[in-house]
Amino acid sequence: MYSVKIPSITRYQIVGCYRGRLNIRDTKLPTLDHFRVVNHAFPKTKEIMDLKRQGKMIFGWLCTYVPEEIIHAAGILPVRITGYSREMELEDGNAYLYVNNCSFSRSCLQMGLRGEYDYLDGVVAGSTCDGARRLFDLWLHYIKTPFHHILTVPRKYTERAHGLYYEQVGMFKQHLEQYLNIKITDAALLQSIEVYNESRDLLKKLYELRKLDKPLITGTETMEVLNASFRMPKELFNHYLRQLLAELAISGRACPSRARLMVTGSVMNNPEFIQSIEELGGLVVTDELCTSTRYWSDPVVLDGWSPLEAISRRYLSNFPCARMVPSDGRFERILQLAREYRIDGVISQIIRYCVPYAHDLPLMTEKLRQINIPTLALDVEYGTSGSGQIRTRVQAFLEMLETRKK
Amino acid sequence: MTIAEHESEVDLLIRTFRMMARMNRAQPEARPSETLYYQMLAEYYNRIRNARQVGKLLAAHTVFFPTEILYAMDIIPMHTEMTTWLTALFLREQAELLAKGAELGLAPEICSPHRGVAGIFGLKAIPHPDVILWSNLICDNTAKSGELMMELSHSPGFFVDNPFQNSPGEISYLVDELKDMVHFLEEKSGRKMDWNRLSEMVIHANQEIELYQEICALRKAVPSPMSISNYLELLSADYLFPGQPEAIKYLTQLRDELKIMVERGKGAVSHERFRLMTLFVPPMHLINYLARFFEEQGAVSVVEPLFTCWPEGELDPSRPLQSVAMKSFLIPERRSMYGPLGEQALQDIIDSAQQYKIDGAIYWAFMGCRQSCATVRVIKEALSEVDVPMFTIDCDIVDPTVNSEEEIRDKLTQFIEMLEDR
Repeated sequence: MYSVKIPSITRYQIVGCYRGRLNIRDTKLPTLDHFRVVNHAFPKTKEIMDLKRQGKMIFGWLCTYVPEEIIHAAGILPVRITGYSREMELEDGNAYLYVNNCSFSRSCLQMGLRGEYDYLDGVVAGSTCDGARRLFDLWLHYIKTPFHHILTVPRKYTERAHGLYYEQVGMFKQHLEQYLNIKITDAALLQSIEVYNESRDLLKKLYELRKLDKPLITGTETMEVLNASFRMPKELFNHYLRQLLAELAISGRACPSRARLMVTGSVMNNPEFIQSIEELGGLVVTDELCTSTRYWSDPVVLDGWSPLEAISRRYLSNFPCARMVPSDGRFERILQLAREYRIDGVISQIIRYCVPYAHDLPLMTEKLRQINIPTLALDVEYGTSGSGQIRTRVQAFLEMLETRKK
Repeated sequence: MTIAEHESEVDLLIRTFRMMARMNRAQPEARPSETLYYQMLAEYYNRIRNARQVGKLLAAHTVFFPTEILYAMDIIPMHTEMTTWLTALFLREQAELLAKGAELGLAPEICSPHRGVAGIFGLKAIPHPDVILWSNLICDNTAKSGELMMELSHSPGFFVDNPFQNSPGEISYLVDELKDMVHFLEEKSGRKMDWNRLSEMVIHANQEIELYQEICALRKAVPSPMSISNYLELLSADYLFPGQPEAIKYLTQLRDELKIMVERGKGAVSHERFRLMTLFVPPMHLINYLARFFEEQGAVSVVEPLFTCWPEGELDPSRPLQSVAMKSFLIPERRSMYGPLGEQALQDIIDSAQQYKIDGAIYWAFMGCRQSCATVRVIKEALSEVDVPMFTIDCDIVDPTVNSEEEIRDKLTQFIEMLEDR
């Protein structure tokens, strides 16, 4: 395990230096400001590069079906590979991955090709969708990160599927052990489970604040928190998140809204997109994204399982991606979120060529319609800021939701 | 007349294929294999049309599905993507199918065969299937299309989870998935699996693979004997009749015809000037046009390494279910459309280029097939290592509005000119 030095509050003095450049609003939430600084510096955040300078290994992971705890228990810092979470020309991504692959894959590949992830010692993926598999293929071919591994991820939830995935997680652990010439012990796995479960628990507490009539935090701000969670040691993130929760508790904030919204669909981690919705008066109070609820919602439950089995079970049974069959599991969780967060409307944002979500959309829209929740379906590109036509459509959707309330 | 006004879409397909077979028979210069091909297609849809009447279960299934199992259980398979494709190709009703797919809410980025599948189900343009069978081989579209088909047809379904890699655990996982599917089908059909029959089909599958390999070997000849217009035939035999006597009969006939041509030194085109590699699949509605264009230019497509070139590998008839599972790891399309795309796959393409004496390659970049297009650059670079230029043409294999004859002519002419300059 690597050791992480927890900084004192004076660290926030750094934030002041960035305030002007980052256009940080005065949120009276210094921890949130710090998360923004981290996100602005990504992929080469101070937290990551400090560890790298200390000789620690950094592994990039693609997709939430990669069990982070295994990497963490090996003493490696897991960092989520994301693309440019802003509007960006993807010349290299298009040239190498062809324009009909999803812009998330193209964006990630472009960052890799341009050396923005050159500090990575390894890359780990799951065979989760066509985009992820091909991104992994091309990453190996062109970027040649020293260690690489792809896990076969079943699409079912049956006991047999759990058996196969457990075997795959075991093979991944074994591959890492051989590569590093170490033994990843149960004790190390248990410690990692504890750290990651604490993180999930803290994020759950944060989300509870979004259930309030007037939530204490906006969807835009929550996205900043979530982004930071992938980009620094989890121990450090947990420390900051505890601080943020304390700051929120005494902040006296209350976020009003014209409508309570849920965002669903493809991978998305651009706070500006959420901001463009919230600037129009809609408040994103929850989300069904692999960068948000689907990332943190379910803890690893030991419940008599070995640490490795418990990890494997959690990752396959977690809040499902649209890749899983049957889709009912995903739809039920979406409906459950809609009820818990008292949603007025759903904004489905699907990246062009993101086939699993595009296929689910007609069925999901119908399920939501049956509980009287309308869906706005947006075709987007990864990193879109939600300007122009999207803004017009969101505005019209919000007006429709307001009319329904009257 | 619209699809809904027809008594049956399948009737039209049968009539069309029978007519094509009759026309072929009437032409002395026509290939007997082509006649067999149309007879085979007519018989395929005839079985679908009569399934209910003869008390057999009709199973709609997605592409690359192990239909040997269905044949062994006397269940009638109905290949959903091929049916959409053939309906578009021979009946020219793609616009209506795709419009219905869009109406059902499917985004235009979803590949046209799968939007068409939703359309064909939405329009009830095919006989009502008793069961829906689907798997994640070969892409997210196949994995996701089954539930919508179930919803639209109100039929029960079974999803076969096909693992990504081929570790022993993954192979045994697939075998167990297939066992469960057999139980599901036994329950729905009231018929027991005939394991001896499945073993026979594995023997036939081995013969079929061998015939594909022989056909590939014959195409190495200079001049090369097979026209690009046979490409759809080769795919149809494999996709619709795996392990079936019909496929053996057709492939044997084709092999024999090619053998005679090679012995006589006769090529597919009158004056062979350029030997081409075909990557992915050209728009099949333009296939006859392409054949004419190739004849004019002296160009011949001699190999499709990602589709018709089966690797070495013998299936064991004494373990039929394991063999059917293993076959899904052998299919040539797997590497380009599913993965993983390892260095060996690229080496195989390079080897093909050398063995078949390729002058140039054409990558038909079907815009609906994302995972395949992701290999365009890497294959282009691999081929350039052996000095084979590759030309990429964006296309759609179902929707004829995407590419016109003129556009294809212009692009291919440029490529041919470039080859001439070399």
